[in-house]
Parts: sequence; structure tokens; C-alpha cells
Amino acid sequence: MDLLTVIDESRIDLELDVVDKAEAINALADMLVKSGVLSSKEGFIQDVYLREAEGQTGIGGGIAIPHGKSKSVLKTSLAIGRTKRPIFWESLDGKPVQCIILFAVREVDSTTVHIKLLGEFAGKLADEQVVEKLFTSTQTNEIIDIFS
Amino acid sequence: MNIVGIAACTSGIAHTYIAKEKLLKAGKELNHTIHIETQGTIGTEDELSAKDIAEADIVIIAADIKVGGRERFQGKRIVEISTHIAIKSPKALLNKIQAELKG
Repeated sequence: MDLLTVIDESRIDLELDVVDKAEAINALADMLVKSGVLSSKEGFIQDVYLREAEGQTGIGGGIAIPHGKSKSVLKTSLAIGRTKRPIFWESLDGKPVQCIILFAVREVDSTTVHIKLLGEFAGKLADEQVVEKLFTSTQTNEIIDIFS
Repeated sequence: MNIVGIAACTSGIAHTYIAKEKLLKAGKELNHTIHIETQGTIGTEDELSAKDIAEADIVIIAADIKVGGRERFQGKRIVEISTHIAIKSPKALLNKIQAELKG
């Protein structure tokens, strides 16, 4: 399986200029819109917040993985943002985050391939070396390399 | 220890798989034999074998929802936690379980 089917350099921003969670989700959703992944940005963001209400998506170590399974998603995809400054996020370790990986999941994915890729992607976040590179990479293509 | 377990989170998209990998890594680092089944939005993967379950000293259910197939663990010692615990402190969890099994 090819990770490039869910991740793309156009949806990675290593200098996200945002001050809080709402701005971060909005900026990441903008990237998804630009690459034609969403039919409705507002609808998608609403579904992301529905998931947020169910429990923390900050997984500790400065990383958050908000995700929305939504009718507004046309193609299951990821957007990755690293913020210029740490921002508050509900996290397992109670600490702010600086790397946010937004999962956009189609409500009805005819093939499960993409969701499976997202699972594999998430599993890699258990690896400390992967996490370190997420924070130290300076080029978007390096981020893709980490996961491929 | 011989460990089997299940990981399952609310939406079955991300936490399930992070919890699984965290438990596997911690298990390997601490020299345990460990198998983790995931019950996610795409269904069950890495389904536990009858042999692995039979040989297990402990069953870890790291889940935020009701998991399927619990009857497979009849007569086994079961530890139930949230996926958060598995993600946040997998090694501490395994060490605690081991200490309790010995005690």
C-alpha cells in the first residue's frame, strides 16, 4: 500500500502560524479544501469537533491527532501541521502540542484500504524516532519519508 | 509473561493502532511475548489465535468501547484499561501487571 494516497506535500505545513486549537484545525482544513478533499469545510470541522467531544486527541509528546469521519470528506486523507509555537490541546500528558495530524475520513469508504493506511500511519506514532523526526524535519518531503 | 490483548477505541481509526504498537513495543523491550488484536472501524485485524490465548498469563483489554469475543478469555486473568493508559504508559502498565502476577 502506498502512503502517498493519503498524504501529500501540499497538505503539510511546518510553519503553521496559529495561536490556538480552533485556528489550527481551521488552517489544516483549509489545506484539505485546497487539495479538493472536502465538499464542505464547515461540515467537516463540525464532525471533527464531535470527535473531540468524545475524548482527548492529544496523544502526548506534543502531538495531536484530531480526526473527523464525515460526509463532507470526498477522499480519505491527512493534513499535517507543525505550529510555530506550542498551543493548548486536551492531551494525555496534559501538555501543549506543536504537531497536529488531522485525519479526514470518508463516512462511507467503499474500500477500507485508506482507513487501513491511516491506522498504520497512527501506529507509527508509537515509535519515538518517528516522533523525533516529526519535530526536527525542516522539509515537507522529509515528513513523507518518515512514514514511507 | 505471555500476553494477549485487544485494542479498540471510540472511532476505531487512530488510537486503536497507536495503543497496539505501544503495547507491542513495550512488551518486546521488557522481553514479554505479546500479541495484540485490533478491533477498529475496518473490523478485526491480527486476530488472536487459540494457541496464543491458551498460553497467555494475562489478557489486556485496552478499549474505550465494548469489545467482541470476550468469551475466548474464559478462565483467564483480564486487565481492563482505556487506550489512553496503553498509549501513555505502556511499560509501567506491564511492570505493574507483572508485579501483581508474582504477588
